[in-house]
Order: sequence, then C-alpha cells, then structure tokens
Amino acid sequence: MMLATMFKDALYLASPQRLLLILPLCLAVAVVYKTTRCADVKQVPMAALILWVTIVIGMYAVGVGLWLMYLLLA
Amino acid sequence: MASMPSQQMARLPVAVFLAWLIPGAGHLFLGHRARGLIFLVTITLTFWTGVAVGGVRGTVDPQERGLWFLAQVCNGGNALSGLLLHKMVQPPPVAPAVEQAAHRLGRASASARATYAGHWLGLDVAVHYTGVAGLLNLLVIFDVILRAERANLVREETPAPVS
Repeated sequence: MMLATMFKDALYLASPQRLLLILPLCLAVAVVYKTTRCADVKQVPMAALILWVTIVIGMYAVGVGLWLMYLLLA
Repeated sequence: MASMPSQQMARLPVAVFLAWLIPGAGHLFLGHRARGLIFLVTITLTFWTGVAVGGVRGTVDPQERGLWFLAQVCNGGNALSGLLLHKMVQPPPVAPAVEQAAHRLGRASASARATYAGHWLGLDVAVHYTGVAGLLNLLVIFDVILRAERANLVREETPAPVS
C-alpha cells in the first residue's frame, strides 16, 4: 500500500518523522559541500561527518531555542 | 576565461550542460571520476527521496510552487523527469462529497484534521528535498566551471617539453 502511494501521492508524516527527515537532507548537503571543498576525495567522509553533526546540532539547538521562546511568550 | 584556448572553451559549455542535465556528469566529463560519482548518487538520491515522500502530483508543480520549481529545475534531467511524471499522472476525480468535506474542514474531527496535516507535512518535506537537491546541483555546476578554469591555468603554467 505504502509502495503504491510512494512517487504518486504525499505520504502521511507525523511530526517526529518530519524531524528525523532533516538528518538525510543535512547529510546530502554536507557530503556535496565537502566534496566540492576538499582537495583530496579521501578527506570527504570525515569532513562531511563533522559538518553533518555540526549542522544537525546547530539546527536542533535553534529549534529548541525558538520553541522555548514560544513557550515563554505564549 | 578570455585566455582559454579554443579546445578548452569548447569543453566548458559541454561540461556545464552535462552537469545541469545529470548531477556529476560534468565532473565525469572533466575526468574527476570519484567526485562525479559522489555528486551523481547524493543529489539524485536526495531528489527522488523527495519525490517518493511528496509524490509527483504535488512535488514538482510549476504552477503551484513557481519559486521552488526554479530551484528544482537546476537539477536538469531529474526535474524534467519529475515534471513529465507530474503531467502524466492525472489527479483523481474529486467526488462532490469530498469537495463538501474539504469545504467543511474547519468543522472536521481532530483525527481528520491530523490526517490532512500529516499529508501536508509530507508534501512540505518533499518540496524542500527536491529544492535543496536543485540548489546543490547549482553548487556543483559552479564547481565544474572553477575546476575547468583551474585545469586550464595549470596547463598554461606547465612549460612545454623541449624537443
């Protein structure tokens, strides 16, 4: 059923799933960016991993900060 | 750019066009095999993951999401395939009862609203995936131009062998 829906209609996503889907997107950004920047391709995996962790921690920190601000102001 | 030999000048537009059409193909054309394969796998996978989550009916839609489509179209072949599929897959006929239900969505049950919001979230995520994939390919196209220029500079600085 899910396979038939994929590629045709939007899948049902709950909020926690949506938060997890940020991980592969950030990984793609980190891999492509570091592949353009690194002089040697062998350096890419470690550099991309460090950048990926940095982006994910940074974005979740911003999210938590905005959520706390919302709780304080609401 | 102005000092590029004619052979290099001819290679650059081909590399840029290939990079736009298939992510990583420009790098493969210039001889950067490993980089080309990384770009091909990463960007193509990101784009089609987005389409799988959001479906072709709503993800690649130039009429509903014009600005996002501009970002998606940087992904050349993938975006055009998505657009073709979008045109091929017709939306299902909307029954009058469904239209009335959509009209009364404000008074719908909490579970019905949650389902509607869940599908909307899926489409939202999908548009971001495909848009970001397109923008990443734009970065790759710029990288092709820089690498082609850099290769040309190295060739110019290397002295010709003395016979």
